Amino acid sequence: MQPVPSADISAPVRWESYDQPALRDAVTASRADGLSDVLIALENMHCSACVSRLEKLLREDATDLRFNLAARTLEFAWNASTTPLSALLQKLERAGFAPKVLAQDHELRTDAIQRRAELARIGVSGVLAMQIMMLAWPSYFDGSAVTSAIDQLLRWTQWVLASTALLYCGWPFFASAWESLRARAVNMDIPVSASMAIAYIASAWRTVLGSGDLYFDTVSMFVFLLSAGRYLEGRTRAIAGERLRVLAGRRALTALRETGDRIERVPIGTLAIGDRIRVAPGESVPVDGMLQDQAAQLDESLLTGESRPINRAPGDRVLAGSLNAGLHSLCLIADRLNTDTRLSQILRLLSSAQASKTHFQALTDRLSGQFSLVILVIAGLATGWWWNSGLDQSLSVALAVLVISCPCALSLAVPAAIAAATSRLAGQGVLVARVEALMRLPRVDTVLFDKTGTLTTPELRVACVRPLTGLGVPECLRIAAALESGLSHPIARAFPASAPAADVRIEHGCGVRGTVDGQRYWIGAPEEALIHFDWPAVISKDAPEDSYTWILLADDQQGLALIGLSSPARPEMITVLRELKAHALAVEVLTGDRAEAAQELTMHIPGVHVFARLLPEEKLARLHTLQQSGHTVMAVGDGINDAPFLSAADVAVALPQGAAVTQARADIILVNDSLQGLMLTKRAAEQMNRRIRENLAWALAYNLVMIPLAVAGLLTPWVAALGMSVSSLTVVVNALRSGGTTISQQQAPSPAPTA
Amino acid sequence: MEILYLLIPLSVILVALGAAAMVWAIRSGQYENLDRQEREPPE
Repeated sequence: MQPVPSADISAPVRWESYDQPALRDAVTASRADGLSDVLIALENMHCSACVSRLEKLLREDATDLRFNLAARTLEFAWNASTTPLSALLQKLERAGFAPKVLAQDHELRTDAIQRRAELARIGVSGVLAMQIMMLAWPSYFDGSAVTSAIDQLLRWTQWVLASTALLYCGWPFFASAWESLRARAVNMDIPVSASMAIAYIASAWRTVLGSGDLYFDTVSMFVFLLSAGRYLEGRTRAIAGERLRVLAGRRALTALRETGDRIERVPIGTLAIGDRIRVAPGESVPVDGMLQDQAAQLDESLLTGESRPINRAPGDRVLAGSLNAGLHSLCLIADRLNTDTRLSQILRLLSSAQASKTHFQALTDRLSGQFSLVILVIAGLATGWWWNSGLDQSLSVALAVLVISCPCALSLAVPAAIAAATSRLAGQGVLVARVEALMRLPRVDTVLFDKTGTLTTPELRVACVRPLTGLGVPECLRIAAALESGLSHPIARAFPASAPAADVRIEHGCGVRGTVDGQRYWIGAPEEALIHFDWPAVISKDAPEDSYTWILLADDQQGLALIGLSSPARPEMITVLRELKAHALAVEVLTGDRAEAAQELTMHIPGVHVFARLLPEEKLARLHTLQQSGHTVMAVGDGINDAPFLSAADVAVALPQGAAVTQARADIILVNDSLQGLMLTKRAAEQMNRRIRENLAWALAYNLVMIPLAVAGLLTPWVAALGMSVSSLTVVVNALRSGGTTISQQQAPSPAPTA
Repeated sequence: MEILYLLIPLSVILVALGAAAMVWAIRSGQYENLDRQEREPPE
């Protein structure tokens, strides 16, 4: 979509703010050579001609210019003590490039540097392996055409190349093995390093001696294949967080703020709650806030996984990180900044989830350690067994055993499947905070739902109006809407947007006063009316529609009307509950409300039990009763009010209300605010467990077959290296495939996010 | 076969150059964003 140039963004940009240390340090990274790095988006850099213009422009001030035409960014280094950043930015702006400083995600940078080093090592080891194999080729045959002198040349050259391979490309394995030994533990890199060391030393010895089989080709192939395998393993672990991290690292650091009739571009750090902010088409929203003026279309895929643009009406919340997908600027009033935005909370949640290892993973890590120990023993025994057939043969067998049994499959099996499942779910708007819950999910046989906010939307809606005087319903509603207009309380959103009342005053937690058409009115909870006014209560205590929340509209003399608000059921509720029943799960609704309200919801779904009028302790008690009789229970709630209830469940799922994502102490958080996430998660969990079982079975079968073969002397070391890599790759590929049941991509369009 | 005395060291040197070029390419980020579809043709 082409961004439409908006005539209203003509404000001068204040670059001087980038010279202030706080902001400058946030956007620049210091380098080893004392210069500072900065990442800048350049709107108007389209082609290589622009690139050369930029090079000329920045030649005297900046070095190490890195252009990315596809992303329209430029990264460069400059001396921050001699040239202020604002000067460079001004230069770029005057040249017409519309610069924008982007947030540097430092973690992303170091990750990128590490990744590149890994790739470089893989590449070099691959090239070296090929060369060594070429040099070793004559030795695979009779070698009668090769003179002794040539043979020596070939051997010594192999030695030189293999030394490079081991030193440059193989050192991470040795380093890891050394660390493990120091910690008196056995990890997978010990057999690996042992085999590489043995092969290298034996071959070097034989090169000096001038005769005997060389294993330089095996060693270098081993280094290459192992490095590639480790790289893949690292990539699968990084998948889960990468999408969000990459996008989050590209957040713009400035926003357009409207003050009066001026629009100026200011750093995000200077924004305050209540500021009016404009977001141009194609730009991302910098903070959480409430949409004003016109409707807008937003791409919230970063937050909810929903890639279709969502229409938002004035009064709806818009979240930081969503993109303005419409054709005109949108306007919002900021109410949550920086680390309070939902985006920041999601990022924090994801990073802590990634850092935590499940018990199962810790178990497999321990197992692979023990396995490595067993392998070393077997290799030693096999060497002894074959000793009588000569050093050659016993060495070959020892190497084959050490190499083929690399437990990469074992240690890859679980993380690969987990990473695939969590990243897929993240793309569908489901955040997995604790992976163990995913592993437990297939065993769940009972699902407990909270009612308010979980089965119903947190939104309130006017359900009925009971006038108490002659004033008609439309008139009451008009006055009420005027009083509640523009407020952010959930009750206020039940009323349509209208011209606000004058002189509005909110009395803490109990009501709103205002003037409409010259008359003073008050709206609030009926119980409060008793405190503030003298007239008797007009609420009938046994009103049949007890599931409503009642508020009272009054003027100075008397109550005018009772307005009943209710929460509608979530649109997907019936489908989801039916599907859960179809999977033979017991479904129960636990609520503090009256039974009628809950039963009204679950009327159409047979087999759902309702427990009403429960105190929180009673909900917990019901949970424990079920667990004690052997059930595995999943609890679904809003995560904040039900925290004790959720944390006692085997699997806790939260539909967080609004921005309190990290307060939802749940294992699984449905960020896209839809119960459909339950079914998605269920399927993903089943598939993940299936993959893990398949991978572990494969790893086991492979080792049971291959190790005896190696001990029996039927495998040469280079075949072993090949076999080991194929097995690791099989595991990774299997974990990543989404075959079998296709995870349904159909979701209900996500409703407006609530406060 | 004496030519091998020249060819083998030569091949090692040539491959070393190639490998150095590859390392430079990787380190300077030539392989980033390989799967971006929004590659715009140079105007």
